[in-house]
Amino acid sequence: MNILTLVWRNSFRKKMRFWLTCISVMVAFFLFTTLSGVNHALTSNVSNSNQYRLITSHKVSMTQSLPINYQQKIAALSNVKRVTYASWFGGYFKNEKNQLAVTAVDHTNYFDVFDEYEIPKDQLINWQKTRTGIVIGQGLAQKYGWKIGDKVPLSSSIWMNKNGSFNWSFTVSAIYQTETNSGDSKKVFFQHAYFDKGRAYAQNSMSWLSTEIKKQKHVDDVIHDIDSLFEHANNPTRTTTEQVFIKEQAQQFVDMAMVINLVVIAVFFTLLLIVCNTMIQTIRERKNESAMMKALGFSSTRLIQGIYFESLLLLGLGATAGSVLASLLITFVRQSVNDFLPGITIEPSHYLTVFALVNISAAFCSVFPAFAIKHIVISETLGGKA
Amino acid sequence: MKSNNDIILKNINKSYQKGDNTVVVHDNFNLTIKSGEFVALMGPSGLGKSTLLHLIGGLDQPTAGEVIIGEQRIDNLKQANLTQFRAHNIGFVFQSHHLLPVLTAQGNIELPLALTSLNKKERQQHASYALQLVGMIDRANHYPKELSGGQEQRVAIARAIVSDPTILLCDEPTGNLDRKTADEILALLAQLNRDFGKTIVMVTHDNKAANYASRVINLESYVLEQNNCSVGEHL
Repeated sequence: MNILTLVWRNSFRKKMRFWLTCISVMVAFFLFTTLSGVNHALTSNVSNSNQYRLITSHKVSMTQSLPINYQQKIAALSNVKRVTYASWFGGYFKNEKNQLAVTAVDHTNYFDVFDEYEIPKDQLINWQKTRTGIVIGQGLAQKYGWKIGDKVPLSSSIWMNKNGSFNWSFTVSAIYQTETNSGDSKKVFFQHAYFDKGRAYAQNSMSWLSTEIKKQKHVDDVIHDIDSLFEHANNPTRTTTEQVFIKEQAQQFVDMAMVINLVVIAVFFTLLLIVCNTMIQTIRERKNESAMMKALGFSSTRLIQGIYFESLLLLGLGATAGSVLASLLITFVRQSVNDFLPGITIEPSHYLTVFALVNISAAFCSVFPAFAIKHIVISETLGGKA
Repeated sequence: MKSNNDIILKNINKSYQKGDNTVVVHDNFNLTIKSGEFVALMGPSGLGKSTLLHLIGGLDQPTAGEVIIGEQRIDNLKQANLTQFRAHNIGFVFQSHHLLPVLTAQGNIELPLALTSLNKKERQQHASYALQLVGMIDRANHYPKELSGGQEQRVAIARAIVSDPTILLCDEPTGNLDRKTADEILALLAQLNRDFGKTIVMVTHDNKAANYASRVINLESYVLEQNNCSVGEHL
């Protein structure tokens, strides 16, 4: 018999209460871990984005076009290395359920600026020479079994071509891979020149520009220079870093980080109250035993340690079960949600956060029982009236 | 502290607040209990018998005066030191046994030994020996709910003596037991006093229980006697 044995036995003294509390802890940590995985999927693009790239779009809205000649004007600014541009195509394959991220890009230098897409050199040259060519991600090639040379019809939900149809025909010219798993490997790129010639309207315009700067310290200056350059033009611009741009796009839907934080705060506050209440009840029920143990020579610190370990066991078991279940769920659904939540995964650092939360919560839940233990008067609790 | 464990209560005052009133329990009380004595403290309720026991055990502090055990004055010890002192020198047996229901008899007896540097095997040996002394070795693996009242009290006595304290403080140890079981427990205490030299201070209302003690102090007459002496001295 040692103190840990006593902690273990005491924990399971009221089995029903222990397991119900444990399940509430499990649910809290299941939610926390799952939301953390979703948050990772939404923010991984931000962390993977290039520190040297700026995005310029119309000041009013991303849906407004900018003239293509803005590219040359920005390229002429100091501290600018390269400028490329792109337009959103809004494509799908066969039917609208098979939505694809299709972008028309400047084929001359887009993949120089976005060098994280790994394309074999011969394939890149092949694509640049093929007017209807598309560059597709490895994931997409696997999903639809597409290979180089395949004719692929894609439709746009936005852009009609000069034939009055929304169907565009393409040829697979290159397949890219990405360095990280979190990057979307299911994108499609095609030549902006083909897009511009083929579409029924809005020629010589594009959706946004990507500017690569020479040194990161120039970022603020270049942003200022670009927006000042077009301040009084018909199409004024708004320039941000790529990180800010991606974050803003994500936040248009929902500020996931804030939602997660709010959920986590609400859940943990409730959890703390539940576990605290359990531990307070526990110590109240064992007041006589605690007094006896003090009489036997156990210090208050020792008894408080015991309560802390009981809280730790309760929270640790629940947190482990909740985190493991959430991890299993994410592993299980990763493939099926990859289209809209690419890179959904649990960061190893999340488990450190769980570990820290469990310890802090255990300490917090021991505060009130500790106060009660400290103030037990042995003579009053055990003493006779003689 | 093992050689001389005389208990000396010197000029003890003990009072407590009850609303606006101050209730005086002991006023200039003196008592010496020699090492190896078996003392029964008797008297009507409210005279402070249990309070005396708590003062000796360091569970309570006097308002004034000194509590000395052996050569150690304990009334002014810090809580941590007092806790340690108790763990090594004093065993308690209360009217209610307060055994931990989640531990077996053996586990309950091993509990105080968790504070020592003994290893698991040594702890088990000590606990078994204590169980043997109280005649409960065959119930070692029984939980308190599986024991009778007398058996529970025997286990509580074994727990009190397992760390080999020199002093055993018993507060109505047989208060909840029938006559036959009470006699068995009292005989056990007397044996611990006789064979192992334990100093035993027992609070009881039971005259038959007091017969097992080597000295019976009736607190009512003892206090009166003390006061008369004191008045005489002053005259």
